Amino acid sequence: MSDVIVAGVGLHPWGKFPEKSWVEMGAEVAMGAVADAGMEWTDVEAMVSGAMQWGGSTGMRSGNTIAAALGETGVPIANINNACASGGSLMRAAYAMITSGMHDSVLVIGTDKSPKGYFPSVPVLADEPRPPVDMVRWQVGVPNPAYWALEMRKRMEAYGSTEEHLAQVKVKNSRHGSLNPYARYRKAFTLEQVLASPMVCDPLRLLEICATSDGAAAVMLVSDKKARRLGVRPLVKVAACSLASGEFGDPTIRIPLLAAASDGAATAPLLSESRLAAQMAYEQAGLGPEDMDFVELPDNSSWHELQYLETMGFCGEGESEKLLDAGETALGGRLPVCPSGGFSSFGEATMAQGILQIVEVTWQLRGTAGARQVEGARKAITEVYGAQANNSACILTT
Amino acid sequence: MKQTPVLEGAFVSDPEPALVGSCCRSCDTVAFPASFTCPNPRCSRKDVVAAPISRTGRLASWTTVHFPPPPPFVAPDPFVPITVVEVEFTSEGIQVVGPLTGASPDRLRTGMAMETVVEPYYTDDSGEVIGWKFRPAEGGGDE
Ligand SMILES: [Zn+2]
Repeated sequence: MSDVIVAGVGLHPWGKFPEKSWVEMGAEVAMGAVADAGMEWTDVEAMVSGAMQWGGSTGMRSGNTIAAALGETGVPIANINNACASGGSLMRAAYAMITSGMHDSVLVIGTDKSPKGYFPSVPVLADEPRPPVDMVRWQVGVPNPAYWALEMRKRMEAYGSTEEHLAQVKVKNSRHGSLNPYARYRKAFTLEQVLASPMVCDPLRLLEICATSDGAAAVMLVSDKKARRLGVRPLVKVAACSLASGEFGDPTIRIPLLAAASDGAATAPLLSESRLAAQMAYEQAGLGPEDMDFVELPDNSSWHELQYLETMGFCGEGESEKLLDAGETALGGRLPVCPSGGFSSFGEATMAQGILQIVEVTWQLRGTAGARQVEGARKAITEVYGAQANNSACILTT
Repeated sequence: MKQTPVLEGAFVSDPEPALVGSCCRSCDTVAFPASFTCPNPRCSRKDVVAAPISRTGRLASWTTVHFPPPPPFVAPDPFVPITVVEVEFTSEGIQVVGPLTGASPDRLRTGMAMETVVEPYYTDDSGEVIGWKFRPAEGGGDE
């Protein structure tokens, strides 16, 4: 089985780009990743691209749209949508194509433009016998952050977490993001500023919830044979690429559902898909949480960061706040969390955010992350948070 | 005025307001809203019937939504924050989300008894859309 090497990466700055189409952004990062690998566009053997629902029909086939712009070469192109887990799903598809020996080079592209504010529902067939639950949850009035707020209040009850903890996550990640030229938000916020931001779904405030952004990222994955031929240095290896879905009996009320197993009757852990995806990745890599030098996790909200440190095995239940208080999760600490600045500094661009994490880890492992470099970074894990219990984790090593 | 349920079959008003889910006759798994099959992966019979859920449960969590959700949510202008509560129904082993009614969120305490009611969600051209809401149970202190 061939090793899978990250030969090149491309990243577009994140923000709002009304003058630029997602096709241009996608083409830019695609060519960026190809050039970074020392390859030509015509050397790419296969492509996988995020199927972007906000882009309509051409967005759902974004890979073909980008290939048509850059010049069609007849290669296999798969377009995949797995909500926020799309990036990881794309990585896994490309990983499988290379480890199986099917291809020596696969280009992974995520480009996305997102609507402002709460993510709205996607239009559905009018003649379905029952309205989909996604319609009903909006009639009830449950935007995405409300799901996270419901979990956070339970955390406060169970472990005594405070509003200050939520704000401190943002203070830390905004400091990291202020060091990243690709981030959309580069202002380092103080605790007072975060706590003064408007309440959205209590206890979550505006600055503690990630925005929706336009963004694009691409990764050129190659076999070890191809990497040798290209002279890739240093060899950043994809040591694991997992994908997991939810388990029956999980008490998480999943977006966009309205019920779940009760906490008392649960037979699976909270965020079972995320816990599984991390476990699968550790197993695949033959490594554990203790081996990781840093982590890029899905800080869709401050609650996520506190919860995912536990879900990904970095500490026991209710202990994330201690790591945060001790400064261990900040740059310079024992386990920097989201040195990129995280989604709180970039904003969500669902098709691209999982790939953004891979780009950041690659730069960190190459030692080219500049002011936000994690000293001596050799191993890291990434994980996203996908709607409706979809999740993926990747481990990169050098 | 014409009344339309937000989700057909998801609740009843008689003999008392209650959510209606599905219950598997083979493994007792309860689902809400009702499913056409049993979601337990280890259940092979998957023989489900509609089943009312206990009227009263306990408050598991809540949040107040301070910005109006997008359509099809119908927001009053000016928007009045809505509180969404999560109620645990112990006998059925499920927790369900719905709007709070009949109490200020300041009154809410984890574990307090909550009961299901059926009330209008909003009015549009088609008439009144009704659905389930939760309120602190009559005379209910902590459960
Ligand atoms: Zn069953």
